[in-house]
Amino acid sequence: MTDHPRDDLAAYALGTLDTAEQRMVGAHLDSCATCREELDALEEAAWALAETAAAPAPARLRERIVSRERAPRGRLGALFGGLRAPVPLAIPLALALALIVALVGLGSARRDADTYTRAVAAVVGARLVALSDTGEAPGARGTLVVPVDPGASAPYLILELPSAPAGHAWEAWVVRGDRAIPAGLVEDRAGVLTVALTEAPAAGDQVAVTLERSGGASQPTTRPVLAGRV
Amino acid sequence: MSTPDVVSRDKAAAGLVDVGLIGRIAAGDAEALGELYDRYGRVVFGVLYRMLGSPEVAEEVTQDAFHSVWRQAGSYRPERGAVRTWLLAIGRNAAIDWRRTRGKRTEREAVIDEAAELFEELRVEDRVLASLRAERIRAAVGTLPVEQRQVLALAFWGGLSQSEIAERTGTPLGTVKSRVRLGMTKLRERLAGEAEQA
Repeated sequence: MTDHPRDDLAAYALGTLDTAEQRMVGAHLDSCATCREELDALEEAAWALAETAAAPAPARLRERIVSRERAPRGRLGALFGGLRAPVPLAIPLALALALIVALVGLGSARRDADTYTRAVAAVVGARLVALSDTGEAPGARGTLVVPVDPGASAPYLILELPSAPAGHAWEAWVVRGDRAIPAGLVEDRAGVLTVALTEAPAAGDQVAVTLERSGGASQPTTRPVLAGRV
Repeated sequence: MSTPDVVSRDKAAAGLVDVGLIGRIAAGDAEALGELYDRYGRVVFGVLYRMLGSPEVAEEVTQDAFHSVWRQAGSYRPERGAVRTWLLAIGRNAAIDWRRTRGKRTEREAVIDEAAELFEELRVEDRVLASLRAERIRAAVGTLPVEQRQVLALAFWGGLSQSEIAERTGTPLGTVKSRVRLGMTKLRERLAGEAEQA
């Protein structure tokens, strides 16, 4: 472990480090619980400063922000490999409230929950399918998130993965019968992350993650590190 | 009545809701982006307004910032900070980019110069925000030594990096870094003290 970046942590919380410094502190935070705890407290102070400036924005701004992303669905879909046009996914209010009440009730135990568990626990309005760790990549974890409303947003994976070796990437697959369909690529990312599936898994399909060459493969070439049946 | 424990639980629950929203945004749900805006749009817009000095420009840059959130949601890493910190950094970077590429140099310098005095002005200006919390935060900032207030203002409102602050104020970089850290640490302690008394 490198030295704790104590001086830069406050600037990180303020969002005032340059990109290279930000990346360095970020990488340290991945593996340092002490600094993460310190950051939690500093973030409170940074947000407090920001709150002193809070001001009502023009009412039209919200609609402009949302409609800009609704409009180019087709292009986005192509960019990410065929995301289907989702309709708004509304969190049922009762479910959202139940989640918050349950989380508050958990008290301090929840603060100890790890990032991956917290990310999975935060999902609402969707069915979760845990993927099994096959032992190929120790520490890998994955959950398939399928929105309750099938016409809503695309299904996605919450993953915790180690860094792929140089020149390689993690690839998600939907396995239907004896056919594996490429369903998403994770390049240059590790740790806890999400990846939208470009192929919606149907009941009975399997979802798997393998290590492939950078850019992805048309068929899996290695054993899955994670796998689960829908 | 608010106790530190309740504050911490509320914060943790809010953080979980935020992470859930980012997951939905990463999956292509534009309404989730709207919900994120509902939670933090006022603060992001307000910070950008203060950094850029014009409501029209702040509106444009806020829209750019949320577009970046849409594009980058898949790369958000919860272990590297809270969603709102990430969002704020995206907003501030968008403001700095705007200033560098499209802002007129004279206006840019004027905003940065004003930023150095902003915290002091805010201490005596009680009309901008009526909220008790904002007043308490400003009062807490007002108790910091002037050199710490100055670096925080130049960094936060002026959008200057620590190296730029060192150059502008003729102060060694290490000193600037220590002042940012000390200022933020004291501010955090004072705000925690406030929460306990509330």
